Amino acid sequence: MAQSTNSGYSAWLKRDLLLAYRRRGEAASPLIFFVMVSTLIPLVLTPDPARLAMVAAGLIWIMALLATLLSVEALFASDYQDGSLEQLLISPQLLPMPLLGKITAHWLTTGLPLTLASPLLGLMLSLPLSGYLPMLWSLALGTACFSLTGAVGAALTVSLRKGGLLLSLLVMPLYMPVIIFGTATISYAIDGVNWLPPLAILGALFAASVALCPLAVAGALRITSVH
Amino acid sequence: MSWQWFHRLGSPRWFYQTSTRWLPLLALIAAAVLITGLVWGLAVAPEDAKQGNSFRIIYIHVPASFLALAGYYIMAIAGAVGLIWKIKLSYMVMKSAAPIGAALTFIALFTGAIWGKPTWGTYWVWDARITSMLILLFLYLGVMALQYAYHSVDAASKAGAILALVGTVNIPIIYKSVDWWYTLHQPATIKLTSAPSMHMDMFLPLLVMIIGFYLFYAAALILHTRSEILRRERKTAWVRELVESKAEIY
Amino acid sequence: MYFSSFQDLLTMDGHGVYVWLAVIVSLVVLAWLVVAPLLSRRILLKDIARDILRERARQSTPTDNHGEV
Repeated sequence: MAQSTNSGYSAWLKRDLLLAYRRRGEAASPLIFFVMVSTLIPLVLTPDPARLAMVAAGLIWIMALLATLLSVEALFASDYQDGSLEQLLISPQLLPMPLLGKITAHWLTTGLPLTLASPLLGLMLSLPLSGYLPMLWSLALGTACFSLTGAVGAALTVSLRKGGLLLSLLVMPLYMPVIIFGTATISYAIDGVNWLPPLAILGALFAASVALCPLAVAGALRITSVH
Repeated sequence: MSWQWFHRLGSPRWFYQTSTRWLPLLALIAAAVLITGLVWGLAVAPEDAKQGNSFRIIYIHVPASFLALAGYYIMAIAGAVGLIWKIKLSYMVMKSAAPIGAALTFIALFTGAIWGKPTWGTYWVWDARITSMLILLFLYLGVMALQYAYHSVDAASKAGAILALVGTVNIPIIYKSVDWWYTLHQPATIKLTSAPSMHMDMFLPLLVMIIGFYLFYAAALILHTRSEILRRERKTAWVRELVESKAEIY
Repeated sequence: MYFSSFQDLLTMDGHGVYVWLAVIVSLVVLAWLVVAPLLSRRILLKDIARDILRERARQSTPTDNHGEV
């Protein structure tokens, strides 16, 4: 039993990673977006390192949010169009596990690269040195929350033709706690306060999302993608 | 115990016909209570020692905020009942609750902003409660947008119900995190007098207004649900009969 | 009555603008919540009545126009 549920997870994880590898150009665009927007920020705000450092943490988080939102729309889109989603829905597998596999693949192809690229952005926005480690940890957990919650929105809007804008409208309010504790982790570290408590809360949010979001995604897909 | 009442309650026809009888009475009581509370609060109650007369906005702001939040739970519960027991009437209630809740949230935000001007000297402050209200408005707008996005009534109802439930799980987390965020950045502001420590002369009209808003909410929800019932049941025999019997009146 | 005159009730020591603006806008929104479903109900009832008439016309025509069409 345990093996069969797990096999659904890893099979879909591998499949989506392979698909992402085949569409490398498409998969890289959230990352390029992430880096590109950060070059705009000194142009619109100020090139002064001291003032950039004050807002760097928040800006990095907002850009990570937008980059995830841009990519999460496509999470179920191609599976919906080619019918493999419907096949998954009628298969005897326990539905949340394959879906969790897909979401994991999404995080590995967007959230993780964003996290790994964030030190570069920190450098460009002159983030103080003490902020780097907390930034990596909080972004890793936070982007995973983004992928999980975003998947619920993607599932609710998968059959709509212009679902992308609606998706961001649905999901953005749900991202607020993650944003609050994510930026707090970094700013605590910069201020020299113990930054583990907000990170621990991010961890709790992540744990709750892992437990609940796949169920909500499964429920939503059963409604929206069957005709 | 008979479950007949439960199934009858789920029948749009029964709901429509019964509410035809009771709605005018409910609306009358709601209007009477609201007017009483409003006159009492605006003209009779004494002014606040610190804030002067601007505190009278509380008689609209607080009841509207109460119902804005309660309305989200009512909407989500209606959606959950629809998903679990497959009661169509429940989805109609859920759809009707969304614009009412959004309107009440707007009232809470608007009156709060106006209240802020004489109290804090600015229309908008990033206060924890105001920020949470704004997020609540976004959550309502999301449910409404999802309802309108689907052509299929069934898909729209179920998708809306799931979103409302996801929002329900998130509301306490959002409120707590915004609260925590606010204590982190708290600027020196005047703390508003909270309800229990108010003087009786001020508190009683507030209580009347809260009851009045609850009654109004019930009446408005029934009213919206009735027109939703007509929209979704327009092909059924009983709606046809209803229209034929009063075609000249309307 | 807390205020000594109607004029005082309107001005409220300078806070009248805020209080009355809040009250009026709120009442307008509440009124809209009542009027909107009533309006949509009226439109719907007319719509359904038109549907019924059209169907009746269709039911009665086939026998009448049998030779022409």
